[in-house]
Amino acid sequence: MVKYTSLKRKEETFGWKLISPTLILIGFLILYPVLYNIYLSFFKVSLNFGEKNTFVGIQNYLNVLSDLSFWKSFGTTVAFTLITVMGSILLGLGVALLMNKKFPGRSIVRGLLLFPYVTPLIAIVFSWKYVFLPIDGPLVQFLSIFGFNSGTDMINDPNNAFIVVSIFNIWRNFPFVYLMILSRLQSISDDYYEAAELDGASSWQKFLNITLPELYFVIGSIALLRGIWNFYKFDEVYLMSKFANTLPIYIYEKAFSGLPQQGVAASIATILFVVMFSLIGFYVKKVLKW
Amino acid sequence: MVKKKSFIRTFFFWFLIVLLVTFVIYPFLWMVSVSFRYDTDAFDKGLIPKRPTLNAYEELLGLKKSIREELSNEDKQLLDLVKNMPEEQKKKVLEKIYSKRKKNSFPFLRFFKNSLLLAGISALISVIISIFGAYAFSRIEFSGRSYIQRGVLLVYLFGGTILAVPLYQIFVKMGMTNSGIKGMLSLFVIYIVQTLPVSLYMLGNYFRTIPETIEEAAIIDGCSRLKVIYKIIIPLSLPAIVTVFIYAFMIGWNEYLFASIFIRPYPEFHTLPIGLNEIFNSEHAIWTKMMAASVLTAVPVIILFMTMEKYLAGGLTTGGVKE
Repeated sequence: MVKYTSLKRKEETFGWKLISPTLILIGFLILYPVLYNIYLSFFKVSLNFGEKNTFVGIQNYLNVLSDLSFWKSFGTTVAFTLITVMGSILLGLGVALLMNKKFPGRSIVRGLLLFPYVTPLIAIVFSWKYVFLPIDGPLVQFLSIFGFNSGTDMINDPNNAFIVVSIFNIWRNFPFVYLMILSRLQSISDDYYEAAELDGASSWQKFLNITLPELYFVIGSIALLRGIWNFYKFDEVYLMSKFANTLPIYIYEKAFSGLPQQGVAASIATILFVVMFSLIGFYVKKVLKW
Repeated sequence: MVKKKSFIRTFFFWFLIVLLVTFVIYPFLWMVSVSFRYDTDAFDKGLIPKRPTLNAYEELLGLKKSIREELSNEDKQLLDLVKNMPEEQKKKVLEKIYSKRKKNSFPFLRFFKNSLLLAGISALISVIISIFGAYAFSRIEFSGRSYIQRGVLLVYLFGGTILAVPLYQIFVKMGMTNSGIKGMLSLFVIYIVQTLPVSLYMLGNYFRTIPETIEEAAIIDGCSRLKVIYKIIIPLSLPAIVTVFIYAFMIGWNEYLFASIFIRPYPEFHTLPIGLNEIFNSEHAIWTKMMAASVLTAVPVIILFMTMEKYLAGGLTTGGVKE
């Protein structure tokens, strides 16, 4: 018995040893910065080395919350998240249903479908910009065949940039959704469908009454993950168009360009974080029913 | 009747497939097409280049000097000019001219090398650290394990957007922002941490699929746990480890936000995302070269992924995935 417990203790310390590098790194570079961010949000942060930060209380928050441009980009971020999450899930679901059928050349198509997701962002951004060029761009030329001749700059116009960035995000991320849904689809037993066929169910009824309920949780979880990621999405938006004005870009510009106001940026990040946390809590309870 | 319906269905099905494939590869087609053109043909209509050329690639890879360099025969003229100057002055003038010329060039290979180094080493370290962590998660029972597991998941909630300001402040306080090398070091550490959670989850899930009896036999034969990891776990899960490495590599290869914060002021240390974006926004942007650079940035990664596709799809869906 004594030997057993000492063995167990040995295992336990060994386990802790194995995990400790991870814990130290994550603690120091993720958890601590999150707390430090909250701390910074109450200060006017100095950028000169050795100069102290000045405590300003909730002034940063008051400034942000009374700033109209903050609310505007907040709205943009929410819209961007909703559109891209719904768009990528609808497209991903459709594609997964298509790819669940056997057809000649399926493996090639499947390989191609991963392209948008695995291609380095910086490589693909330029070809999107080229495709959307306002005067000579292939898309504009193509659309003009059908009589659409807008000639507007879709990317560098704050009114449209949002649309292009949303389409781009859906294009880039639907393969992830499709992969997750497909792997769940393939694990649904054929028996259900055979039974339903015997009862004379149409394809649509089968989809509605068997497939969708089986996919409920996987879709719910994907929506959560994609929601979190797209709410924070910086690089895909910023590199496509600086004019899309979502909150992460707003934070970045406040913190690192012009006259940096890092305290203000920290308070925006904190607000973003609190909103995110409460939305996730609500979602996990109501939608995923955990 | 049945046959006709199925014909329409088949037609509709293939129509959807064609539509989907077009939607997916349209930008890629243009990327490749423009990269094989001369600068003056960049806006020619039609996907297929009328005068295909490797010009852009040759210039990027340094196989061919750019036209300007070739025509002006600059080096020779330069040396003739400064021949009679005093040594000190000569050196200064040359330095000035060379640095200016460097500014005008498109140092693709340097970006590529920096990215390779940064993404490669940080992914390697991340994988090594997480092999041990994942083993602890999947095999060893210790108190607090489930809390830690959930805690690591929490990292999903802290995107780079929230960490940018505090991390910058922390590294400023440590004096890590005043040179390119230090900026690079900061990025190494940040990329390791950014990729750790994914690596941990993907590997942990894979380790659980390895039958425990193999290890038990080894332990009875006198293997220590550490030896079990080296001799059994690592060889058996090599495909998973390679997949995780590629995934972690990709995160570093793609990263823009932190790179722009820490190394933007130091052109010698620019990675592909930051370097290419800076060039795109300068007057040296030439569409053919940008596209050729894009192809060269994408091809290695796409090949890696395609060879690992089978494992990747599994890893994506069974493990936690982080971007």
